[in-house]
Amino acid sequence: MSQDAVIRTSGLTKYYGKQLGIDAVNLEVKPGEIFGYLGPNGAGKTTTIRTLLDFIRPTRGAATVFDLDSRQSSVEIHRRVGYLNGELALYNNMTGEDLLRYLGNLRGGLDWKYVNALAERFQCDLPRRIQGLSLGNKQKLGLIQAFMHQPELLILDEPTNGLDPLIQHEFYDLLTETKLAGRTVFLSSHILPEVEKVCDRVGIIRQGKLVTVETIETLKSHSVRKLEIHFAANVPKDKFVTIPGVRDIDIQNNVLTCTVVGSLDALVKASAQFVVVNIVSHEPSLEEIFMTYYEGANHAK
Amino acid sequence: MLNNMFLKTLRDQRRSILYWGIGLIGMAVMMAAFYPTIKNMPSVNAYLQELPQNLKELFSMGGLTDYSSPVGYFSAELFSFMVPLLLLVFGVGFGANAIAGDEEKGTLGFLLANPVPRWRVVVDKFGVLLVSMLVLGMMFWAGMAVCVLGLNIDLSLLRLAEATFGAMLVALVFSSLAFMLGCVKGNKGMSMGIAGGLAVLTYFLNGLGGMVSALKDYRFLSPFYHYVEPNTLANGISPEHVLVLIGLTVVFFAISIPAFMRRDIAV
Repeated sequence: MSQDAVIRTSGLTKYYGKQLGIDAVNLEVKPGEIFGYLGPNGAGKTTTIRTLLDFIRPTRGAATVFDLDSRQSSVEIHRRVGYLNGELALYNNMTGEDLLRYLGNLRGGLDWKYVNALAERFQCDLPRRIQGLSLGNKQKLGLIQAFMHQPELLILDEPTNGLDPLIQHEFYDLLTETKLAGRTVFLSSHILPEVEKVCDRVGIIRQGKLVTVETIETLKSHSVRKLEIHFAANVPKDKFVTIPGVRDIDIQNNVLTCTVVGSLDALVKASAQFVVVNIVSHEPSLEEIFMTYYEGANHAK
Repeated sequence: MLNNMFLKTLRDQRRSILYWGIGLIGMAVMMAAFYPTIKNMPSVNAYLQELPQNLKELFSMGGLTDYSSPVGYFSAELFSFMVPLLLLVFGVGFGANAIAGDEEKGTLGFLLANPVPRWRVVVDKFGVLLVSMLVLGMMFWAGMAVCVLGLNIDLSLLRLAEATFGAMLVALVFSSLAFMLGCVKGNKGMSMGIAGGLAVLTYFLNGLGGMVSALKDYRFLSPFYHYVEPNTLANGISPEHVLVLIGLTVVFFAISIPAFMRRDIAV
């Protein structure tokens, strides 16, 4: 792959009538990376994806995929992309196998060995009618149809919807293999731990605006965590208040609660002087991550 | 049946086509079975002849001269209303569903994500509309033909085919209108409502036009005028009227393609 960006959007803006979808989004997804597109529901993730695939047309700005214009070359782009929609709806009146056969024919044929291997990995019962399938089983079919032609780029909108943890794990493995094979993944999600787990870089979108694009390491170093440390006996508060990045310290009944920005290292080392019974960490919610970015922006001013 | 969009769409329609076809054949058989009885009841004919001309016009039977003749009977019972109506209901339903239905169900998204240009979706689905209509027409005609031959009814099978063809054409006008509206807006209910509503309006425009002199000059605006007026079962196809019906269908189809290519898909 020679291009320096698989997906590039410049000033991509979409209004639905007067309602804002996305506002001046500038994105660059590099070849061979797993890019996470993170944001709460209604932030504009799906709008961005639909524009890339030419289902909807930008109000302003433009997008290229493989250096091809999303509007002029949509058929060629579709040929090289595997796509999973967010609100998955499949033809109910056929079996999973027939659905894959049909979609495969639209793409000019399939490697059934690979399809069957995927179905086995995801424990997907292909001969069953789609009508009776649970949400999770439909989602598996959706994943298989996105991966089955081994596309150069995968665009996955909330791919783990309804999957049980075992299958989710299998899916994360598949993502890693895809990346190792040099292919690119663009994945939207509203679940932070998922994005942290599988992505190389993350774009955070909120109310139609791309707030930031970071590597996972940077994101984590900015991240805010709520910690509870249970000690065997009471501990003096002054041993902890001086630790950089530790805020909102409170000690009650041998339990210290605090908020930590960035690395946990100093706090853990300070705690090690005492007998620790348990450490409970609360993953920061998406909203908390956003707040750190907004606070950061405000401090800078 | 899963090789391409055309065959897949046709496959989805197979049961629907079968049931509608059976319905049409059933209607043909029933009406034909009653004919020998009606023929031997001159009083029915006399009674119908005494109906006010206006009433006959209203139900597209203005040209009815002899109810007891095969042409008169089948024109009145089948071709003036029931056959075009049934074909129209099927076609408008299919037309509205073809694009807008898939869009509302949310299945259009992953279909369009394939390397298939949008115009191809329109062409393939419209092709299925034409083929389904043709198959239904042929099923009805075949049912009629068996009855005509079996009951020894004095009716030309060619004229029967021509009249059936006319009913298909008038149904296609409204079906392709519903199809086009689905391509323009993606709203199935609206497409069906407008196309169905216009069918009713123009049906009565033609019927009322036969009795209300103020409307007479506007009858030509009704597709039903071009279907009913030539009295095809008696006289055969009238090329200029047929061309009007085909022309309307072609125009609606031609608008469908750019309309669907240009707009945002709700998915």
